[in-house]
Amino acid sequence: MSKPNLHSINPIKFLKMDGIRKQKIESAEAKPLPPLSSYVPNQLAAALHPEKQYLKIVDVIEHSSDVKTFVFGANKEKGTEALAYFSAGQYLSISIKVGSAVITRPYSLSSSPKESLEGKYTLTIKRVKDGLATNYILDNWTVGTEVEASAPLGDFTYEPLRDAKKIIGLAGGSGITPFFSLAKAIADGDEDAELTLLYGSRTMNDVLFLKEFNAIAKKCPKFRLVNVLSDEDAKDCEHGFLTAELIKKYAPVDEPYSIFLCGPQAMYDFADKEIATLGLRRKFIRHELFGEYHNPQRNEDYPIKGTEKFSITVHIAGEAKVVEANANDTILCSLEKNGIAAPAHCRSGICGWCHSRLISGEVYVPKSVDGRRLADLKFKYIHPCCSFPVSDVEIEVPPMK
Amino acid sequence: MNNYDVIVVGAGNGGLAAAATTAKNGLKTLLLEKHNLPGGCATSFSRGRFEFEPSLHELCSVGTKDTPGKVYKVLDGLGADIDWRYEYNPYRAIVKGKNGYDVTLSGSIDGFCDSMELAVPGCRESVRAFLALAEKNERALAYVDQKNGNPNKLVMAAKYGDFLRTASSSVNDVMIALGIPEKARRILETYWGYLGVPCDELNCMHYLSMIYGYIKEGAAMPYRRSHELSLSLCKVIFDHGGEIYFNSEVTEFLYDENKRVIGVAVGEKKYYAKEVISNVIPHNVFNMSDPSAIPTTDLKLANAREFGISVATIYLGLDCTAEELGIKDYTVFVMSEADSRAQWDKRTEGSLYIVNCLNMVIPDSSPEGTCTMFFTMPIFGSDVPKDLKPQDYKKYKNELAKKYIQDYEKLMGLDIMSHIEEISIATPVTFARYLGTPEGTIYGYKTSDWDNVIMRTQCEAKEYTIPGLSFCGGHAVMGDGFSCAYLTGSSVGERVSKRIKEGGNK
Repeated sequence: MSKPNLHSINPIKFLKMDGIRKQKIESAEAKPLPPLSSYVPNQLAAALHPEKQYLKIVDVIEHSSDVKTFVFGANKEKGTEALAYFSAGQYLSISIKVGSAVITRPYSLSSSPKESLEGKYTLTIKRVKDGLATNYILDNWTVGTEVEASAPLGDFTYEPLRDAKKIIGLAGGSGITPFFSLAKAIADGDEDAELTLLYGSRTMNDVLFLKEFNAIAKKCPKFRLVNVLSDEDAKDCEHGFLTAELIKKYAPVDEPYSIFLCGPQAMYDFADKEIATLGLRRKFIRHELFGEYHNPQRNEDYPIKGTEKFSITVHIAGEAKVVEANANDTILCSLEKNGIAAPAHCRSGICGWCHSRLISGEVYVPKSVDGRRLADLKFKYIHPCCSFPVSDVEIEVPPMK
Repeated sequence: MNNYDVIVVGAGNGGLAAAATTAKNGLKTLLLEKHNLPGGCATSFSRGRFEFEPSLHELCSVGTKDTPGKVYKVLDGLGADIDWRYEYNPYRAIVKGKNGYDVTLSGSIDGFCDSMELAVPGCRESVRAFLALAEKNERALAYVDQKNGNPNKLVMAAKYGDFLRTASSSVNDVMIALGIPEKARRILETYWGYLGVPCDELNCMHYLSMIYGYIKEGAAMPYRRSHELSLSLCKVIFDHGGEIYFNSEVTEFLYDENKRVIGVAVGEKKYYAKEVISNVIPHNVFNMSDPSAIPTTDLKLANAREFGISVATIYLGLDCTAEELGIKDYTVFVMSEADSRAQWDKRTEGSLYIVNCLNMVIPDSSPEGTCTMFFTMPIFGSDVPKDLKPQDYKKYKNELAKKYIQDYEKLMGLDIMSHIEEISIATPVTFARYLGTPEGTIYGYKTSDWDNVIMRTQCEAKEYTIPGLSFCGGHAVMGDGFSCAYLTGSSVGERVSKRIKEGGNK
């Protein structure tokens, strides 16, 4: 028997290939190529993840002098025809100009995903003492104001293959907004989960959306609101804080449950200690973003004592500028204060949108917000939104899109 | 000031390699990227405590410092600092059903042939002959190279007949001619998904060069996910004075009155260069060009081509170790049909998926006590349901993921679902978003019968004729895959460098 060979294949075939190809090309039409918008995956990508969304305020609901809900529609004159659909719990990154500073802020959508299909988003914003953005927004935004936003972003969403079907929500203060969206999504049948919301407030007066929540609970047995008041006793409410005991009281006994937390840092600090005593697996505990990092001085490993100033040399698409920065401000804030627009979304070190190259100098990144990737550490990239200068630094930042 | 020697459009693997090459050759280089990160598919993303590899299964033709393969030579030659890890076992192939099989192939030519013989007694000699063709092809290509692409036809016919045969035949035709038993043929076909063309159509030489590389040199992966590959090439570019502008989407290719590309526009800003290299697929480039500047042949070629496949992928971060879960392999191919054409035809029914566990190669690629899994299903962008609405997309993704995870749990007797701590699901929609390719193709154009890589390479000079413009990347002459993109990027970069230095024109 002969060895395995290719004698049965005629090598002349090779010489014919050129002609076959030529013929194939010749016989094709020389028509213009279809645009990207003609392909289904590209259409969906554009609808779900638009580069930008141009919005216009169509209504303002004043809850108190310090809390307002802004109702947005698509700003069609600017080119946004429809609002992107989202998962309850996602946020918009808003860009605003305050004086000479161009800043961004992430705000959770308080409207339901379903409402986005009707052309409506809402953001509920609470005044933060000395807050640059919230003060500006509450004092200036009104019906007709045009606002530029990102696509919906963020991972603080219910994921059916990951999370338990029963969710215990822990909300504090304005951290209630994503839960308002989730409660509506559950009632609308858009998320197949059950939510028991433990909502921490000082007094009944501080509770947002009380009427709306009660209306949802009335028509949807999968949602329940428990107000947890620290500073007063009220009918049908819990008195105190978001403790492990309280969670146990409302959590299912014989089946797994997920805890979703959204609130101020102080609430996380308290609730995390309480949750730790419950012995839950990590996968069942989900935090919303921690938000802007202030006061790095509180950390033991922070190397700067006092109030030093450093210079930041920043390169953006071939142009260089030098600005002076407080050591205690994030690099992103220092750029913004100096009128330099820089890309940012989550402002919590996680999303990577501000990914920038550290050319020289040293920065301090608090461990809890260091969302850099392994290769970023190797090749010296930083997230300016949570990096503090500890020497003069030179960085390259991508231009705003 | 916006004048460069070379502008590279797109920082995918091809664009990064091209820009690194021209910058290293001393040319003033600008790389423009629409996204905020480099790499295209070669990146990483974080969810919770996990950093996921989004696309790379394994790189072929890397090898080591002592036995460098083509890709190693290119990347190392550029000075890219990459921490390589290796996997020497090619794959485990499971075909479900009554006539199915479960075969694990070993690395090295001998090891591979041994494991094939064990699976299909009597196939060793024919399988060895199949792999030996790869070596013959390398010798033939070396001769073609030596003759600067104009080999003597008689010498080719007399000495390199098998090269002509494998270069003009499908994988199946060659395997049948060699008398490889059917079951062995099916096992050998397993890697077809990496090239996205079933084996009755896939060019044999193309396939051989890949499979032989994996078997002989093993597969390589960067320690810090593909993001390390991309940032290492960015560093080369910066170290040699090149510039990279992220968030800078090219919106127009600029031509002079002779229809020569002279630069690009990023919105209002214009950048000019002696030559432009596009890592962006010709379809998109032509749509950003003055129609009168596109030669009829180029336009006809684009119209004649089919898009390559895309994928749906599932990324899982699990709160148990691979050992606790019972995972033993880095790569498992799971198929419901043995032959690649049937897998292709039934691809939307789950006829083929690939499961990887990076911890098997890089144990600390996820935190202690955890592991990651990565499912890949080759599908087309056109397989995404036409009536799928944005509000139904999340459900579509989750149902898809659930189907595959449960199938694998059942097949392997694993409990994956209850350990999911993080999950992310990508589809052609995701790739359309991040890559901006038509249909979200990740493979550019299908390396089909007539559009195989052999003919692409041979016809390159006749077909990409726009003066001042070259193409590199997965859609280019060598076809898809990280390795091929680096190689075309580097060779186009070298060619352009040479032309500019000699003052010549394309």
